[in-house]
Amino acid sequence: MSGPRLLAGPDLGAGAEGYADHVRRLGPTTLAGRALIEALVRSGVTGRGGASFPAGLKWRALAATSKGSAVIVVNGAEGEPQSHKDRLLMRTRPHLILDGAFLAARTLRAASVVVYVGEEHRAAYAAMERALRERPEAERRVARMAAAPHRYVAGESSAAVHLIDGGIATPTTTPPHSRERGVAAAPTLMQNVETLAHIALIARYGDAWYRSMGRRGAAGTLMVTIAGGVKKPGVLEIEAGITIGEAVAMAGGLSEPAAAVLLGGYFGAWMPAVKAWELPLDAEALRAGGLGLGCGVIGVQPASRCGVCDTARIMRYLAEESSAQCGPCFFGLRALSDACSRVAERGTNRDDMARLKRWAVEVQGRGACKHPDGAVMFLRSALSTFSDEFASHPAHWRQQPA
Amino acid sequence: MSDTILWYTTRGAGAVSMILLSAVVVLGVLSSLRFHSAGWPRFLTPALHRNLALMTLVFLALHVVTAVVDPFTHLGWVAAIVPFSSYYHTVWLGLGTIAFELLVAIAVTSLLRDVIGQAAWRAIHWLAYASWPVAVIHGFGTGTDALSAWFVVLSIVCVVSVTIAIVYRLLQPPADPLASARGEFRSGVSRRPNQ
Repeated sequence: MSGPRLLAGPDLGAGAEGYADHVRRLGPTTLAGRALIEALVRSGVTGRGGASFPAGLKWRALAATSKGSAVIVVNGAEGEPQSHKDRLLMRTRPHLILDGAFLAARTLRAASVVVYVGEEHRAAYAAMERALRERPEAERRVARMAAAPHRYVAGESSAAVHLIDGGIATPTTTPPHSRERGVAAAPTLMQNVETLAHIALIARYGDAWYRSMGRRGAAGTLMVTIAGGVKKPGVLEIEAGITIGEAVAMAGGLSEPAAAVLLGGYFGAWMPAVKAWELPLDAEALRAGGLGLGCGVIGVQPASRCGVCDTARIMRYLAEESSAQCGPCFFGLRALSDACSRVAERGTNRDDMARLKRWAVEVQGRGACKHPDGAVMFLRSALSTFSDEFASHPAHWRQQPA
Repeated sequence: MSDTILWYTTRGAGAVSMILLSAVVVLGVLSSLRFHSAGWPRFLTPALHRNLALMTLVFLALHVVTAVVDPFTHLGWVAAIVPFSSYYHTVWLGLGTIAFELLVAIAVTSLLRDVIGQAAWRAIHWLAYASWPVAVIHGFGTGTDALSAWFVVLSIVCVVSVTIAIVYRLLQPPADPLASARGEFRSGVSRRPNQ
């Protein structure tokens, strides 16, 4: 079997697939309990929110600690500005996601399910809310919706727990990880909506079926968002392990010559287009090269755009998205963003370049959450990918925000 | 070793300890003001506070050990550990013992801050406000030099410095540079009460 899996079925333009149609098309799930957890481990399916953590291992750990009190958080906050795959899935296949969530609730003996969706994704929120009302009474009773504030850090797992518990979506210090002590101090499974949808299919067809797709040693399919200089930007479900070049071809190919690729969104890394083209879209293989799939955003940077200016714009965004809790993040990212903007606006100067290089290292690891770390890794990748541009940037601000 | 050297060391180390401890208290009092300038980065205040505090303990140890081992005094180790157990200046010397033990408690809990948690550490750190005046009174009551001009001037300088620091700090508004930004962010992400 090839072709899309999560996005198979009725035309996506028709909106959310209803519960009756969903059950008629896919039938009931067959795997449950211990067998399901072991199938997930064997499948190798990983978390699609950005961390690419093996879902099976997460479930195994939760199963050991849950004493009937665990909480399942369906993470559809999707705060990454360029990513659209989660909201597309929520809008079109909500029951696949909910299947995964309630499978988790039964398998891990959870007390409740919280569907956490970005408040700005109105259509996705409404689709999930409507889908929840279509579920059987026993499932509806334990589930509720929660709106994620429209901020970058709101999808971070401790921020999600903080919102659901305390009403404020700011990250808190870890440990304890939400896996051990999350919502209402109970062990909490925080799982991205796409991951849950894959799990709903593995529970029907098994791990061998899941692995039957995937190239270069990778397993299954991935949802990616291709943005920037391609002919048909948007969300695609691709076979895991295909290269970025192949994925770009699926998006209609380049609309103009490409200089670089931003892989994984604003929490990801820049790389030269020639290097990116051969990279397989597979979390494990990318990690071996010090990279990450993140939330699956492939941002194609056309050669006509200025990498320095775009980096400065994104650094400004990340600095403004600091939750102002930790000084090194709040002040450090602002200082880095200011230095980056000065290079973009007034041209390269030796002082600011030295500051960027020094501070990009000093901020690392000094926040309660990973926000500052992600921002400086993004910046460091920009400094190396656009090293020529940074070295001799003229005084201009070539582009307004895309 | 000559008894006189021990005696001078006890007095000298005691005086140095008072200066150092006063400086530590001043830096501690002012640390929440988050003062910084081009020549004085912010980390300097807490770093100096900590290093001077450790140095104070070194001089205090010297002060206590030389006093006890001095054969002339016959103080004994018990007097150094149990307050008010000394035959000599029972009250004044006992205050010194108390001040020293409070400082040791503060130092130990500071080193174990990650283990005992921020709240417990902070509660015990408030004892510094008890330790410092007790130590100064101990100096006035026990000190051989208490009435000599140089020691009186030194003590007055220390007391005045700490007093100025405390008054200054109490008059300053809280200087959390993140307070307004954090408040703004929180009001943006707050969904209280029930969303």
